[in-house]
Amino acid sequence: MRALVVDDSRAMRKIIAGALRKLGYETVEAADGAEALTVLAGGPLPDLATVDWNMPVMDGLTFVTQVRANREYRALTLMMVTTEAEHGQIVRALAAGAHEYLIKPFTVDALEDKLALLGLLPEVSQA
Amino acid sequence: MTQELTQAFEPDAVEDEALFQIVDQMWASYFSHVEPLLPSFERHDITGEVMCASVGIAGSRPGLVTVVVEATGARPVSAALLQEDGDLLDEDVYDSLGEIANIVGGNIKALVPDAGALGLPAVATAKPLHGSSGRLAARLDVSWQGHWITFEVWLAGGAPRQDAAPAVSRTAPDETLED
Repeated sequence: MRALVVDDSRAMRKIIAGALRKLGYETVEAADGAEALTVLAGGPLPDLATVDWNMPVMDGLTFVTQVRANREYRALTLMMVTTEAEHGQIVRALAAGAHEYLIKPFTVDALEDKLALLGLLPEVSQA
Repeated sequence: MTQELTQAFEPDAVEDEALFQIVDQMWASYFSHVEPLLPSFERHDITGEVMCASVGIAGSRPGLVTVVVEATGARPVSAALLQEDGDLLDEDVYDSLGEIANIVGGNIKALVPDAGALGLPAVATAKPLHGSSGRLAARLDVSWQGHWITFEVWLAGGAPRQDAAPAVSRTAPDETLED
């Protein structure tokens, strides 16, 4: 399985991508929503995108909205991974089309639990 | 959706204990491979050169969350977050400290009623200016591997704390980070 990690922090991209690789994912990275859209346009479509909320150039909510507006990307599962922890923000993200929401700081176990709920755990990590 | 939706949103939830819980959870999540933080029960004002990361909170009760690290500790803390042993670029240090402030700030914002947007992190080689950032709502002094780190939350409104220090001015900036 393949994941796109979208976060403006290199440190956080490394943490998230590292956790996903431990779970069996191949990963690609983007530093903001606009760069992530470019990655998606270049294909192939990943199975999962983890998306930070607050980023320069294009924020995560705008990215989610634009992805959901494109039928070519309907197979892409979107998980917000962000410090935005208020209930209202979670509702906004889900309403915009995010499938799941993970609040930073998170553990690898918490990420794995979310992926299991989404049915997106690679077979290697379920063994 | 699980535990996030049950998080409490209390009007005066921003206090030292809440700040400690957030920092402790962050450390457990991303720094579990290194030594734990040692909280100090007494205020420790860092002297000398520092790195400071901050994020602003907009809304009806705007504020500022700051993370001040002794300059000598900035690289080790960043290397621990990145789990890298080699030399870090200055931009990696700035990025790592900014992300720490972002994580703490985002979770603090969830405790502030009617909070607006969280700003993007800013990192500088100077202590923060709190002149327009309201009162000190929460503070945590910790040491790690002999390096002091101070977390503060400044929010508009409310009475000042007994231990609130006066607004500090910028120290002489030093663009070169040192181990």
